[in-house]
Amino acid sequence: MRSGSEVVWQAVGLVVLAAFLVAFPSLAADPFVLSVGVVIISYAVLATAWNFVGGFTGYISLGHAAYSGLGGYATGLLILRADVNPWVALLLGGAVVAVLAVPIGVAALRVRGASFVIVSIAVVLVLLLVFQSWGSVTGGSDGLRVPRPFDAGVLRPEQHQRFFHLHAVLLAVMLLCWWLIDRSRFGLGLKAIREDEDKARSLGVPTVRYKLAAFVLSAFFTALGGGLYALWFGFLDPIFQFSILVGSNMVLMSLLGGVRSLFGPLVGAVVVGYATEFFKAQYGDTQLHLVAMGVLLAVVVLFLPDGIIPAVRGLVGRLRPGQASIREVTQEELAGEVRR
Amino acid sequence: MKGLRTEGLTKSYGGVRAVDDATVTFRHGRINALIGPNGSGKTTFFNCVTGMVEPDAGTVTYHGRDITGRGAHKVAHAGIGRSFQLCRVFPRLTAVENLLVAVRPRSVLRALAPARLKSDVDRAMGWLTRVGIEHLADVEARDLSYGQQKLLELAGVLMAEPETILLDEPAGGVNPALIDRIGELVRSLNAEGRTFLIVEHNMDVVMSLSDHVVVFDRGRPIAAGPPDVVRADPRVLAAYLGG
Repeated sequence: MRSGSEVVWQAVGLVVLAAFLVAFPSLAADPFVLSVGVVIISYAVLATAWNFVGGFTGYISLGHAAYSGLGGYATGLLILRADVNPWVALLLGGAVVAVLAVPIGVAALRVRGASFVIVSIAVVLVLLLVFQSWGSVTGGSDGLRVPRPFDAGVLRPEQHQRFFHLHAVLLAVMLLCWWLIDRSRFGLGLKAIREDEDKARSLGVPTVRYKLAAFVLSAFFTALGGGLYALWFGFLDPIFQFSILVGSNMVLMSLLGGVRSLFGPLVGAVVVGYATEFFKAQYGDTQLHLVAMGVLLAVVVLFLPDGIIPAVRGLVGRLRPGQASIREVTQEELAGEVRR
Repeated sequence: MKGLRTEGLTKSYGGVRAVDDATVTFRHGRINALIGPNGSGKTTFFNCVTGMVEPDAGTVTYHGRDITGRGAHKVAHAGIGRSFQLCRVFPRLTAVENLLVAVRPRSVLRALAPARLKSDVDRAMGWLTRVGIEHLADVEARDLSYGQQKLLELAGVLMAEPETILLDEPAGGVNPALIDRIGELVRSLNAEGRTFLIVEHNMDVVMSLSDHVVVFDRGRPIAAGPPDVVRADPRVLAAYLGG
């Protein structure tokens, strides 16, 4: 029954989402709003990619900017240094990062909890130093200018529109993958790892292989997100690409929307992304927008600890009549069950 | 040789030898009990046997095959299932999902098959019915009572179809009616050919259930034999009374 209503929810969400994504560029009032839309959907892509590890296995990576940054740089460098077609470079970049994620994952996934968080941060900091110092290849702190994939005849608003839809396609592919894994044996194994890893091992789940597979898939999608962003934005600077802030935004958005829900990271990205722009517009150049964000997060943590989607679903469930909680079983009934 | 055997098994934590040169043979097809005072190394012994921790020295063999340090999931695949002290289930998965975790896909492609395949769900419902909680199949494990969680954990272990089952304190913290029910389950499963190895503090349970008792003290076996013989052994009495 639970899975039945789950499917209905997801189908409704999907239709609404698809309609919105197709229509948004024509609804957007001006190119600025459109560009904000691209930033938000880019974050939605990254957060959803993050959730392949964070949501399924419960391994919280604060350093996922490592893979979006690597994806961006791989795409840019393949175009500039090897003269590869931009779209081929994007996919190749994703593949390169997936390969790199194997040894990183093997090492990082040996530790759990806080130790894993720290290792994930260490990876992004190492990459920051490497990309800043290795100027002859990466452009160093001066940054790297990535050529636009569309010719000069395509104007700014048109660019935004195309990139918005490209991100939407990537997001759709990822949501499909997430949905397929969510209902698969592999996905159930990952969720078992999240709930109790040792118990999962004792039941025969090959935890090391499962975690690594989820990690590499997540890194691959994150890299594609980073590459697409690089092609859109056209400029890469290590300090912004390999930033803990980007990584923690992915975590924040996912937690906010709900890590166990298909659309959780997407909802979180929209809320955080929109709120960031709104507060920035309200408070101008001051740092007050950070305070406002902090308050928003505190409210979520205090009142919606499982995220927005589970909270809304719980509310709808409570409004529906005749839904008794399982806890409303009398002691006698429980005793009877045991005796039976 | 059929069955589970350890030879010279040793595991230290810091300066403490939790398991110390333990050579033990368990009877295949029987209900074996492992008893001993608190801190005598029973749970560490369990963890070494099931691959949860790697022993410092010694070997574990199952049906003559060396399974020492093989990793917990491989030990599970070899046919050894286990429960945990104080009971461990996956709290945010439903009861039936708790069982489906134990389904072992035979290939990468089959790992991507839906978790709720009818044949698997039917088998899971069969085990839930056997332990008597089939009406709670779609309830999240965290919403079950402790006794129900104990039964769910047992059903989960059974779902992996193990030939040998290690139970860590199956009677711990549950009411007398449920203890009887778990005892009956163990007996009937044993009659179907499953071997049991039970760590238990409740002596009534040990004495009434088991065919063969091994007593641990300070990380090593000090006595082994039928329950009534072991009960009268002076070394066992001394260990329990702190002699």
